[in-house]
Amino acid sequence: MTQEAVRRQEPPSAPADAWARLVELHEAGELAAHYPRVRELLAELDDAAVLRAGNLLARLDPQQVLAAHPGTPAPGIAVTGHGTLSALRPALVAQAARHGLLARVELSDFDSWVFDLLTPDSDLYAARPQFALCVLDAEVVAGELPVPWSVADAERVLAAKLALVERAAEVFAQAAPGGTLVLNTLPLPRELTAQLVDLRSRARLGVLWREANVRLLRLPERWSQVVTVDLDPLLAAGLPARDVRQSVYAKAHLSAELLAGYAREVGHLLRQAAGGGKKVLALDLDGTLWGGVLGEVGPEGIEVSEGYRGEAFQRFQKVVRQLAAQGVLPAVVSKNDLEPVLKVLREHPGLAVRDEDFLQVRANWAPKHENLAAIARELNLSVDSVVFVDDSSFERGLVRRELPGVAVVAVGEEPARHVEDLLRDGWFDVRELTAEDRARPERYKEERARQDFLDTFDSLEGYLRELGVSVTLAPAAAEQIPRVSQITLRTNQFNLTTQRLQPADVEALAQSPDAQVLTIASADRFGDNGLVGAVLLRRAGDTVHVDNFLLSCRVFSRGIEQAALATVLADARATGARRVVGRYVPSAKNGKVADFYLRSGFVPVAGRDGEPGDGPGGEQAGPAEAVFEHDLADVPPPPAHIRLTARLRPAPEGNETA
Amino acid sequence: MNSIDDFVVLLRDELALSVTPEQVRQGFDAVPSWDSVHLLSLCTVLERETGRPLALSEVLEAPSLEAVYRLATGS
Repeated sequence: MTQEAVRRQEPPSAPADAWARLVELHEAGELAAHYPRVRELLAELDDAAVLRAGNLLARLDPQQVLAAHPGTPAPGIAVTGHGTLSALRPALVAQAARHGLLARVELSDFDSWVFDLLTPDSDLYAARPQFALCVLDAEVVAGELPVPWSVADAERVLAAKLALVERAAEVFAQAAPGGTLVLNTLPLPRELTAQLVDLRSRARLGVLWREANVRLLRLPERWSQVVTVDLDPLLAAGLPARDVRQSVYAKAHLSAELLAGYAREVGHLLRQAAGGGKKVLALDLDGTLWGGVLGEVGPEGIEVSEGYRGEAFQRFQKVVRQLAAQGVLPAVVSKNDLEPVLKVLREHPGLAVRDEDFLQVRANWAPKHENLAAIARELNLSVDSVVFVDDSSFERGLVRRELPGVAVVAVGEEPARHVEDLLRDGWFDVRELTAEDRARPERYKEERARQDFLDTFDSLEGYLRELGVSVTLAPAAAEQIPRVSQITLRTNQFNLTTQRLQPADVEALAQSPDAQVLTIASADRFGDNGLVGAVLLRRAGDTVHVDNFLLSCRVFSRGIEQAALATVLADARATGARRVVGRYVPSAKNGKVADFYLRSGFVPVAGRDGEPGDGPGGEQAGPAEAVFEHDLADVPPPPAHIRLTARLRPAPEGNETA
Repeated sequence: MNSIDDFVVLLRDELALSVTPEQVRQGFDAVPSWDSVHLLSLCTVLERETGRPLALSEVLEAPSLEAVYRLATGS
């Protein structure tokens, strides 16, 4: 069957069916019971239909969903701000549901942001939201201008409002530890600038307004709890800032479209905070990375870089490289023969992204979902960390149906829109990019070399000896705090308790006298793995609690985890502890470490039934956790093949236990 | 949109409001889970459907969904 014939087939599930099914579930009162299915149905819908679905989903009682599906991550979101923000609730609920999350949205009273955020005992803080959205608009300023007004008046009001926002950030940091405050820039309405008839004053207002927006955008530099959503790019993409009638009559000062775009950005923040990070960008070739069908027109016939369409495809290729430079792992999934594909990727002079940029090239005739699963397996990542881009609705539909956790991006027949389509959702957004992120593609390439090296050995022991693994265990330095936070946010498999920590949480732990934040770094003959894990310890009397133990999936099963744990045990004994206690909290992804403590000489002491979690925002705890204890009578040595450097506390002089 | 029945379908599809033609004729109090904020979205939807601008100030003062329907269709 030719590619074209494949494309003409009906997709397995059409958008209209998905909408009909949603309405059916809603009318039967079964949305809560089938909540996991909602994500799959939303993935089929266009933007307008997702918003409409938000109206259905906003009627759901979150408690009913949690009763039916207790494991659903359900971030608490407080919405406060200046104008009427009711349109934001369905938009947020729908965006969260797209990511398999259940948004518990609390909308504050109209225009109560100052009281909500500046009063530490306000209801907003009492609810301990994981996210507080303070949605401000131009009317915050315009509404307080005298009549008549001058630029000096605008300057005065802007300064007063900015001072309030900055004070809000300060109070929030104290009153909502572990939470995130989301601010936004203020769109500048022409209706305001045009009231000044002299161009000099008008320009001056433009300067002052943008300076205020710059201050808002700079707030996250000072307060790591703050995220500022820049509305300018959304406006530049063509979203209307407001409907003036809605603004005048209903005090809704931001358009429903803009609020929907804003909710989409917030949805990605929620997704990252819940550990749903995306790492792999899996690309189709024909019609996606280049124009034309390689198998039919040959390497000379495809549109890669020249001509109108070639140039459009090349823009897309450059953006793929741009993402790869920031830690995204590109891969190819194409229905083609392998040899011609490799030849184009290696030799085509115009291609801006080449074979060495792709960690995996899967060009074959197997179903794409099987290839995506294989890519994830090879990279030792969850298939949910894959973003898949294809121009064929058939292929997209099949992948959606078979792998609901994969984010599927549709590119259309117009290649000039490919970049916009790819970037519409911030699938690869992170709060902060670390050196580890930038080095990730290189690290995975080293991993491939390691795999090839492994294949030359008969036994794993022989391999590990020759691999020359070195491990460094040390307290987290200030500059490593963002990376440790990121490990807690993005590690799903080797994550014993799945407790997510924002940078501010890690910093608080590192400074607590009873707690220790240890980092695990490793290297081997193929290169530096960098900071690959963390151990969070807390001492209570003669007991050392391992609050969490995390390790990047790239470096499992090399003895690194055993070396780190052996060091922790030896240190506990040396410093007078009587026992070390570790907890395992099951999640959807961490099953492979369920017996980590058992295999390491711990014995089970208790299995506690799930209680509401005490994490930021009172995340719902999963099922029962298990508690293990080591009596320190027999502490195992670290694995012999590992060169270990350990320094467990920031002592000024030699405290090395190598 | 040519009839109250079409309007009922639109309310269901666009705003997830399940109403009967009877409830449309009665006041907003008769509409299950009615919230005045629905009126804002409804205006946007109606303008899109009819291709005509709507006097928002009049819609906000309308006593029932039927009155909104009449404003939108000019009937």
